[in-house]
Amino acid sequence: MIMSYYDLLLQYYPALLQGLWTTLLLSFVTLVLATPAAVVIAVLRETGSRYIAVPLAILVNIVRLLPALVVLFFVFYAMPQLGHRLSPLAAAFIGLSVMGAAYMSEDFRGSLSAIDPGQYRAAKALGLSHLHTLRRIIIPQAVPLAIPPYITRAIIMVKGTSLASMIAVGDLTAQASRATSITYQPFFFIVLAGLGYLAISALLALFQSWAEFSIARRYRLAPRQG
Amino acid sequence: MTLDFSILGTVWPALLRGTTVTLELTAAVLVCATPGGIAVALLRSSPSPAVRTALRATSAVLRGVPPLILLFLTFFGLPGIGIVLSPIPSAVIAMALYMSFYFGEIFHSGLQSVPRGQWQACAALGLSGPRTLFRIILPQTIPAALPPYISHATEVLKGTALAAAVAVPELTNAAKKVFVVTYRPFEILIAAGAIYALLDAGLLLFQLWGERWAARRRPAR
Repeated sequence: MIMSYYDLLLQYYPALLQGLWTTLLLSFVTLVLATPAAVVIAVLRETGSRYIAVPLAILVNIVRLLPALVVLFFVFYAMPQLGHRLSPLAAAFIGLSVMGAAYMSEDFRGSLSAIDPGQYRAAKALGLSHLHTLRRIIIPQAVPLAIPPYITRAIIMVKGTSLASMIAVGDLTAQASRATSITYQPFFFIVLAGLGYLAISALLALFQSWAEFSIARRYRLAPRQG
Repeated sequence: MTLDFSILGTVWPALLRGTTVTLELTAAVLVCATPGGIAVALLRSSPSPAVRTALRATSAVLRGVPPLILLFLTFFGLPGIGIVLSPIPSAVIAMALYMSFYFGEIFHSGLQSVPRGQWQACAALGLSGPRTLFRIILPQTIPAALPPYISHATEVLKGTALAAAVAVPELTNAAKKVFVVTYRPFEILIAAGAIYALLDAGLLLFQLWGERWAARRRPAR
């Protein structure tokens, strides 16, 4: 029996929608977990004591040397050996957040180091505490710089959630490839899934232009010339 | 449960075979994506707006879609149009396609670093287009392009782990196969991770050397 694409869609859209929902959930949770972790890591590595910065640097760079899939396998398959059995979704949250936080902290470090170090000394001379300096002087200046790399990283992380399908999470990729292997439709479901990811990336890119615009207005930054 | 790394004594041949496949995949992707990247970079400065628009659209699609989806597209999709490939070539095609556009960016900025006047000078000297490109222009882009090229090569190396999804027997897949049998995922994944880290670190050392070499070779202007 030959089914039209319409029939296929009718039959599989609940599974695909559920997959899309799982992908959105994965993206949202990993971003929510990774962003504050990355901010803390970046601030500690840039301005903290050497005894914290060096171990953090080693950890971040070890994670960055590993393929994301190995990290996910480690959380999902190796943790039970130590007595922590995790559901596929929980393992994906942890693995993807760890990966995301490591890469994102490097992005944030870049925007923090773009702030003139003289500002720390100036703030100290004015009697501001270290936390106060960070909160009121350094971070407000670093945020506009951090937005473009942050959104780029967020898009990479959204795309990276497709790896969760390898540890039995029923995300968009998993649902599409399952439907593909049941129906022997080579292109249809994979292309649909691809469109789903493209839509999420496009939304994030739109958010980026909005965020850049509103931050430029809020901080009354001069529009970039040329 | 206690950890016992002596399991590695029995599984190392499988991991070694996986490492070989990972290295082969990485090399194959680099060999295909490097000329692909050069082509993308040259097409980006093509005089035809249609070519540039098509390229920008392709690039936007390839960057917005997870590499795993591209891999499924070549693995499940190409047989649908009559091209049946074994897992390894389909993985190489998907990753080379994906990386061509990233390399294209690097080579494009490399090409921008060579003054346009050199093309005109070569034309005035009667050199053909390809000869100008390969003998005059490209060699000068190497210092600017080498460091980011190598850091993308580490992305290729780590990216080959994805090929496990289409049953390519590379390192991650080999590790999974042996830990499923031995119930020792912790030790075996640590070993696989260490192999990846060592290979990556090797590339990064090469990058450090490349940066120093590039700093010496950067054309004085």
